[in-house]
Amino acid sequence: MSYLYVMKTQLIRSFTYRFDVYGNIIMQTIIMVTTAFFWKALFGSGSFGNGMTADKMLTYTIISSAMSVLFTTGVERRIQRSVQQGSISVEMIHPINVFGVYFAEDMGTIAALLFQNLLPIIIIGSLVIKVPMIVSVSAIPMFAASLVLSMGINWLLAAIFGMWAFTAVEMDALIQVKKHLLRLLSGSIIPIWFFPDSLRAVLEALPFVYIYQLPLDIYVGSASTEDILRRMVIQVIWFAVLGTAFFILQRRVLGKVMVQGG
Amino acid sequence: MIRVNDLHKEYHVVKKGQGLSGAVKGLFKSEKLTVNAVNGLNFHINEGEIVGFIGPNGSGKSTTIKMMTGILTPTSGEVLINGQNITKHRKEAVRDIGVVFGQRTQLNWDLRLEESFELLRHIYRIDKKQYSETLEVMDEILGIGEILSKPVRQMSLGQRMKGDLAASMLHSPKVLFLDEPTIGLDVGTKYSLRKFIKEINRLRKTTVILTTHDLGDIQQLCERIIIINSGVIMEDGNLSEIVERIAPYRTLKVEFYDSDIPKHERAELISEDNNVACYKFFKSELTAAELIRDLSGEKAIKDISIEEAGIDDIIRIAYGIKNVE
Repeated sequence: MSYLYVMKTQLIRSFTYRFDVYGNIIMQTIIMVTTAFFWKALFGSGSFGNGMTADKMLTYTIISSAMSVLFTTGVERRIQRSVQQGSISVEMIHPINVFGVYFAEDMGTIAALLFQNLLPIIIIGSLVIKVPMIVSVSAIPMFAASLVLSMGINWLLAAIFGMWAFTAVEMDALIQVKKHLLRLLSGSIIPIWFFPDSLRAVLEALPFVYIYQLPLDIYVGSASTEDILRRMVIQVIWFAVLGTAFFILQRRVLGKVMVQGG
Repeated sequence: MIRVNDLHKEYHVVKKGQGLSGAVKGLFKSEKLTVNAVNGLNFHINEGEIVGFIGPNGSGKSTTIKMMTGILTPTSGEVLINGQNITKHRKEAVRDIGVVFGQRTQLNWDLRLEESFELLRHIYRIDKKQYSETLEVMDEILGIGEILSKPVRQMSLGQRMKGDLAASMLHSPKVLFLDEPTIGLDVGTKYSLRKFIKEINRLRKTTVILTTHDLGDIQQLCERIIIINSGVIMEDGNLSEIVERIAPYRTLKVEFYDSDIPKHERAELISEDNNVACYKFFKSELTAAELIRDLSGEKAIKDISIEEAGIDDIIRIAYGIKNVE
């Protein structure tokens, strides 16, 4: 299949670019280790209300760092570049959907990052902090299912966001804002159970917590099965909503392509 | 093979005021202007034709090409490629077309040429046998064999253009669109590009649509030209017939022995420089032989040459007609 080959090509390309790979490992390691020390200092040997211990919090931190690799997206920048440089025109002469190509490219990049980033982060985390074991073997299928949906939601959000580039051509700053807002609101660094109830209710209605918080809760076992299932239903709904929005928008956007420069 | 019916394209551009105050105002209120880039085009192109699509910068020819290749959506009207509406069935219809943009590449900068080709092979789902046959033909015409293993980013413009041409032909399209393919190329590469166009047209009956500012391209390749200006067709027809109709004159350049230059009642003296003079005359009124005989009757002639009205005259006149209106 053509999209699979695009993915494979991107995988090969990613392996030839070593540069930012090491940078990202170093950055993620710094965030991971400092966050871990922070939690250690905060908890000491005690525990938090919902049965969270410092130990579980450390697992949370390591897995969150590892997961961030899976949420790497190039699609916003890719759209921006294509629109700005006008290369969108050569992408559209092929019998293939351009967003399908962007998706396949992102999956190819992530596949390469599994070895280049995710594995090193888990290894460093295990050596420096602790071995991040999942709460129980029976949680694995649920974690995996939820993680796949998370990746879907994350990519769809990025793609929908990136479609802005078709109108507001310059959006480097917006991409940064979105990235940091997402990390803050999704529970990737601070779990949302630390937030006030009212804010938490708002966040649970938004799609962001279904990217990091939900799979992490499943992994460390910090919520009841009932609660998890309820939130997984919301996750599926968000996935469907964003998926539908994406399909409608991409049709509209591609019908409105403007080519910059001739 | 290609049918264009009443094709229109409007752009909306935001008009911004000048200077800082204009920029600030633009943040709150913007005035929209509608520009008719393409304004009701109708034509059809048969299989195996080589058509030159020409017009000045900003005439709407690139917009037209982009609508014909499914990149831009027309405001109204339709483009049928081999019977299929390219806007509605883009993914199917683009299988029949190959596109080369002189100023962009469809090759991947990070990959070697053959890797880019391999990617295209998968995108178009070309089977291996057909693929290697096409590649062989491309190597014969363009000599791309030696650059196949070269990364695209290291290629010269000429090499890249050859790569792009081969890439556009991998899936054996029925129609090839070339948007200013010879821009920036040296004489040798231009020559091989023209040879390539002639060859694929002859061997594969590929229909070629070409936009260019290079008059040599048109003269050597196109039997038919479509001249477009301000989004409308100014001329559409056989190149030599258009020349015959718009510029049915020739120029005779005569070198005399001295600077005393004779006049002729039926030929216009358009320039004189020392002892060299140029006469413009209409074929219907005067033959070259008559003119030469008359002139040599008055003064001794050292040397002569006759120039047909060139394609550049045609273009100047065709563009000019619009300006006069």
